[in-house]
Amino acid sequence: MKATVSLPLLSASNVDAGYGHVRVLENVSIDVRQGRIVVLVGRNGAGKSTLLRALSGLNRPTSGKVTFDGSDITTAPPNAIVKAGLLHVAEGRRLFRRQSVADNIELGRYGLRLTEQDHHWRVECIHQLFPILREKMELPAGSLSGGQQQMLAIAQAMMREPKLLMLDEPSLGLAPVLVDQVLAAILTLRAQRVAILLVEQMVERALEIADDAYVMQNGRVITSGPAAEIAAGAALHAAFMGEHGAPHHSEARQGRP
Amino acid sequence: MDIDVFAHGIVAGSLYALVAVSFNILYRPTNVFNFAQGELVMLGAMIFASLTSLAGMPWFVAFAATLLAVGCIGLVEERIAVAPILARSQTGTGWVITTLATSLIISNLVGRFWGPDPILVKPPALLSMDSLDIASSRISSYEIALVLLTVVLVAIVERVYRTLKGKAVMAVAEDREAALLRGIDPGSLGRWSFFLGAAFAAMTGVLAAPILYASTSLGPDLLLKGFAAAAVGSIGNNRGALIAGYVIGVTEAVGASLLSPGYQEAVIFMVVLAVLLLKPEGLFGSPNARTV
Repeated sequence: MKATVSLPLLSASNVDAGYGHVRVLENVSIDVRQGRIVVLVGRNGAGKSTLLRALSGLNRPTSGKVTFDGSDITTAPPNAIVKAGLLHVAEGRRLFRRQSVADNIELGRYGLRLTEQDHHWRVECIHQLFPILREKMELPAGSLSGGQQQMLAIAQAMMREPKLLMLDEPSLGLAPVLVDQVLAAILTLRAQRVAILLVEQMVERALEIADDAYVMQNGRVITSGPAAEIAAGAALHAAFMGEHGAPHHSEARQGRP
Repeated sequence: MDIDVFAHGIVAGSLYALVAVSFNILYRPTNVFNFAQGELVMLGAMIFASLTSLAGMPWFVAFAATLLAVGCIGLVEERIAVAPILARSQTGTGWVITTLATSLIISNLVGRFWGPDPILVKPPALLSMDSLDIASSRISSYEIALVLLTVVLVAIVERVYRTLKGKAVMAVAEDREAALLRGIDPGSLGRWSFFLGAAFAAMTGVLAAPILYASTSLGPDLLLKGFAAAAVGSIGNNRGALIAGYVIGVTEAVGASLLSPGYQEAVIFMVVLAVLLLKPEGLFGSPNARTV
């Protein structure tokens, strides 16, 4: 890794965003540097998914600024943001269930001119990372298991060779062995210099693989830093315990092995 | 029953199927049901009739010009009557009124410009409306060509949905937001679909003109029966629309011959109601239904 201080790949500063008149995010600032895994943790409703939606252009920020790869994308439409190399795999995968696995993968490169060779190579990379998809190419995406669907959703994004991949709850509803596979895939992508912004309910697992972490509570970032420090610090505990100190949230429970 | 009745039912049914397909082209990426579609069919027939029968333009040139002109009108309709409503809310239903308004505007303007008299339109060279006496049927060579062409056109449209652009349209139909996250621009696909759907409607009008004449009354009639074919064949499903078009065309022809021509529309809508009561999503399932 380069020793020089470089500009972050993605930088959100003082972002406010929400749904209609309901403001969810208040003054959120985060940075994601190239080739890093950054995890966002916090309870349900802390604003993690809303932040991803604001970054990918689905919920345009009402104030603040987002820059990606040197350009301002604060008000860019989602398709332009995708074209710039910022991909968002939404919660629940959101595949095209009636279309085949092969068609879903092909849709991953919509609007991108690829040579036959390049296209073939990218599909081959996907099959290397997720061999199970090779066997399922002609089946409808809706017939896949949850883990396979998650792999397919990541595969779709990989068709564009993204610079930054945002994953919202990739382990949700997956069997433990599949969670391992998905996390391993995330590490493989980092090794290929893809930056990852991860929202994950399995907090401890996520902090293990992450480089940096942000802790969110009530639509704000309450603390941030290297993942190992966050894992050891008190802020994480506070974020999950809430003001009354009761560990009643499923996220916190599932985060413990 | 006369084989002739059946044959004419298939011919009429082919036209209804084409109208239904033009509905579907528009509906897939936008979830908008364009109530002006019938008038776009009529407009296609009128423009084509004027260019050929009145201005003497060659068949193919007039055909291309008509499709282009009506396609552009579809695009204008999308910009003025549909896009502003969908921009406010993707699930808004204000387009019911605005597309209906577009329909009335086109109908009134055409009525003023062309008047109520039907215009005779000749089929293209090599084909004619004279009946061929095959197997005691009075069907013409043009009508046979129309039936075959309809099958080919439905196959071509379905083939287009196998291209990447077509798959993107289906993706938008299934989950618009998920499509956005794959870099698909639903707005652009919607505009293209309005252009192509309107051009397809115009083509239907051109093809119908030698059989039904070009007249301002073409619109409401084809709108209703095309809608019936789209609904019975499951909205968004083009092969379903083709089969449903035949069902409606034949029902209408048989109903008219057994009862009296006065009842033919009542018979059609009894069939439509019966189908939709038993299978509200139409005979061939809906490609837009979410299976979760």
